[in-house]
Amino acid sequence: MTARLDPGPIEDQLRAIQLITDAALSRLDDRELLAELLERTRDALQADTAAVLLLDFASGQLIATAAAGLEEEVRQGVRIPVGRGFAGRIAAEHQPVILDHVDHTTVLNPILWAKGIQSMMGVPMVAGGRVIGVMHVGSLTPRRFTEHDVELLQLAADRAAAAVQSMTAQADRLAAAALQRSLVPTSLPVVAGAEMAARYIPGSGGVGGDWYDVFTLPTGELCVVVGDVAGSGLPAAVIMGRMRSALRAYALETRDPAEVLGKLDRKMQHFEADAMATVLYAVIDPGLDRMDICLAGHFPPVIAYPGQPAELASVPVGLIIGIADPAPRPVTSLPILPGALLCFYTDGLIERRGELIDDGLARLCRAVTVEPAEAACATVMQELVGTGSARDDIALLMLRRLPAHVGNGG
Amino acid sequence: MPDVGFSVEVIRGVPVVATPQDVDINNAGGLRAALLQSAALGPGTLVVDMTRTQFCDTAGLHALVTAHKRARAEGGRVLLVLPGATVLRIFSITGLDGVIPNFPSLEAALAASAAGPG
Repeated sequence: MTARLDPGPIEDQLRAIQLITDAALSRLDDRELLAELLERTRDALQADTAAVLLLDFASGQLIATAAAGLEEEVRQGVRIPVGRGFAGRIAAEHQPVILDHVDHTTVLNPILWAKGIQSMMGVPMVAGGRVIGVMHVGSLTPRRFTEHDVELLQLAADRAAAAVQSMTAQADRLAAAALQRSLVPTSLPVVAGAEMAARYIPGSGGVGGDWYDVFTLPTGELCVVVGDVAGSGLPAAVIMGRMRSALRAYALETRDPAEVLGKLDRKMQHFEADAMATVLYAVIDPGLDRMDICLAGHFPPVIAYPGQPAELASVPVGLIIGIADPAPRPVTSLPILPGALLCFYTDGLIERRGELIDDGLARLCRAVTVEPAEAACATVMQELVGTGSARDDIALLMLRRLPAHVGNGG
Repeated sequence: MPDVGFSVEVIRGVPVVATPQDVDINNAGGLRAALLQSAALGPGTLVVDMTRTQFCDTAGLHALVTAHKRARAEGGRVLLVLPGATVLRIFSITGLDGVIPNFPSLEAALAASAAGPG
């Protein structure tokens, strides 16, 4: 139905775009690459403006990220809701849109019609099967964009999408790793009569939502937290950070571990309705004699005493965080005798495919023996992870109550 | 998307999603999509048949919980078929066995679906 154009010039144009995207990828950052690509796209299509809007998944809005001939759109931080206006329609329908007539009825962004753009054409930027943005070009003189123009623009958009996707993924990995590093305690608190050691190992898929935390309260009590947010990468790490902060705040307010986890659960269900996490929270008295522990869908700690096989602590488990209507959360009070070694961990340490969880727990109990906390961590990692790479991330925390004669004498 | 292994079929008017041997972070997205697709067939009961499943990590649980919450908000429900001790144990440790109804066989889940409120 459309007249064939001479393929020669188009192929030249495609080559020009491929060349610039490939060459630019290795040396330009996100915005520079997009800007360069937009300049070339504008030239190749003999258009007056070109712009890229990237989808912010959290808000469902397209955000102007790069532009040629339309720089004010980026400077003013234009945001277009998906489904509305010209760009919003392209993102919602995953389809190119050509506008032969631009005004306030067809285009949401006043910058475009105020600038005098007469005709527009836009295509979705797709990566990994979903729309991540929109690329569009505009003409200051009335013009009918053709199917071949759309194909050329789509090629540029595909190149841009692949580059943005890879750079976003890399940025997310770095951000998640940085976040994880900043949130896992760099040093454990010094507590008289106790010693501690810990490990955090990212899984083969990068960092996830596992964390541990140890802190003291003004009353001198020692609090231990181990948690696992469902999911991986930056989203899980961000939720983990929020949970860690919220839990610390509630711990300062309330002594009762069940109440702390109850508040945390309510907070998560209200503000992070889609999140789910397992959490262990224990409050140890200042004399280290006793631990009040509450489990939200998390594995109980392993406890070892000199000369005895280590055992899984007998602690009833309450409901995982993030699900409505929890029953009252059970709190268990456990004695900690001098010389005890407590092992707290996340599921990545014990879960193996095609194996009962109980087999993994038994393997962990066999690996936990009373020795200095740092050595105990090393032994457990050696026995349970060994030379293989962990699929899931792993958090491990050892807390040893020193034998009476080694303590601070108090 | 490369996620495979989640079949959706309608048995006696009830959408049934069958899960593969492993449900984990690598394919939880596929489970999520299959559950969403089944929920779109209409409000009411949705059965997840985990008969073949030997391993389910937190990401898998998360997908099931999300489907459960969505179904409940829309007046429906999710029923699980969990004949294997391995996965059932994961559900009991997380306390989820008391939240999402589970059955030892597909037949039992379908019977409960026919008997219970839509």
